[in-house]
Amino acid sequence: MTKRAAVLLVAVGLLLPARSLVAHHSFAAEFDASKPVKLTGAVTKFEWTNPHAWIYIDAKDDKTGEVANWGFELAAASGLMRSGWTRLTLKAGDVVTIEGTRAKNGTNNANAQTVTLASSGKKLFAGANTPAQ
Amino acid sequence: MKRPFTVLMSAVIVAALSSSLSAQWPLVPKPGVPKGPDGKPNLSAPTPRTSDGKPDLSGIWMRSDRRPGNQGPDQPPIATFGDIGANFKGGLPYRPMALDLVKKRAGGLDNPDALCLPQGPLEYHLDPQPREIIQLPRKIVIVYESNYGIRTIYTDGRALPKQGEPQPYWHGYSVGRWEGDTLVVQSNNFRGALTGKPGDGWLDGKGDPFTDALTLTERFRRVNFGQLQIDVTIDDPKAYTRPFTVRVEQEIVADGSEMIEFICHENQQFLKLTGRER
Repeated sequence: MTKRAAVLLVAVGLLLPARSLVAHHSFAAEFDASKPVKLTGAVTKFEWTNPHAWIYIDAKDDKTGEVANWGFELAAASGLMRSGWTRLTLKAGDVVTIEGTRAKNGTNNANAQTVTLASSGKKLFAGANTPAQ
Repeated sequence: MKRPFTVLMSAVIVAALSSSLSAQWPLVPKPGVPKGPDGKPNLSAPTPRTSDGKPDLSGIWMRSDRRPGNQGPDQPPIATFGDIGANFKGGLPYRPMALDLVKKRAGGLDNPDALCLPQGPLEYHLDPQPREIIQLPRKIVIVYESNYGIRTIYTDGRALPKQGEPQPYWHGYSVGRWEGDTLVVQSNNFRGALTGKPGDGWLDGKGDPFTDALTLTERFRRVNFGQLQIDVTIDDPKAYTRPFTVRVEQEIVADGSEMIEFICHENQQFLKLTGRER
């Protein structure tokens, strides 16, 4: 297998939910599945923590042009480790596009389902707090 | 079309293995793992045994994601993390108070898992995070990675205490004995839903309740090197009209990966996101 093919396959592997990823907490209590959100911006903070990791980005509103800081909840750091993330996967300044679901309380928070790195186009499964299975 | 199919299948295989391929934690191969001709762990090898001839349940176990379609007709329905009655024909035998509680708990605000409190007994068995069974001569300790639960099962021949003595515990009081190759664990003296405190008396993510009247019977059977089967009987006359049994299946972690630290209160945002704490 070529190195390129191997990288591609591992990347595809990361797209799919690893079997051991953490489904912590009550999704329905925190997030509104009917409110998807997709935002792009530079990372201001990456919290490599439990019970969930958090990514904060400065995202620009396409309509108003205003920049706001948004927080995205990911899976637990322990679960992310098992699916290939490390504490160094993101750093402040990295531009990412995050797709997820907005918080019910209307604040600038959401859970993240996928995180795409602008620099490489690499898409990472974030797997935060999916409905319990 | 053959090539795309091959690539797709390779991707699926890599995806299935991604947890071991990409784990960012030192892999230290464990001694005693049987190997097949290909050098990989032979998960269908015979059940390992301790020096006294009993099956050795020790190891790190992940819940199995095998789906109930493969289940035999005379076996207990498979429980899921979110709903232990998901595969229970006709639903669980709730008493009215239990059904009322399930309705009140919809949304999961008081789920002990979400509150970083000790999980319910079936949540611990079915959480996607692993648990480690440490089998000692006179007791068995189970360490759950999720919410860092630690449970002791006494296997020194002591009797199960009376309900109410000692004071109820989050994990109850557990004693185990061997029936042939099956470890039968009975537990009582749980903190139950009737305390009214958040997190008390949840069997699963949905909030199926248990009360302080619960006697839990778990039958652990290590089918072979790689598989653990736990049949869990809920006998709680305050919450259910009759005892019922569900099955949990777990698989050994044989790639040398370990439990990972999980400090649940490190960055707990649940109360803020649900409007109960600023």
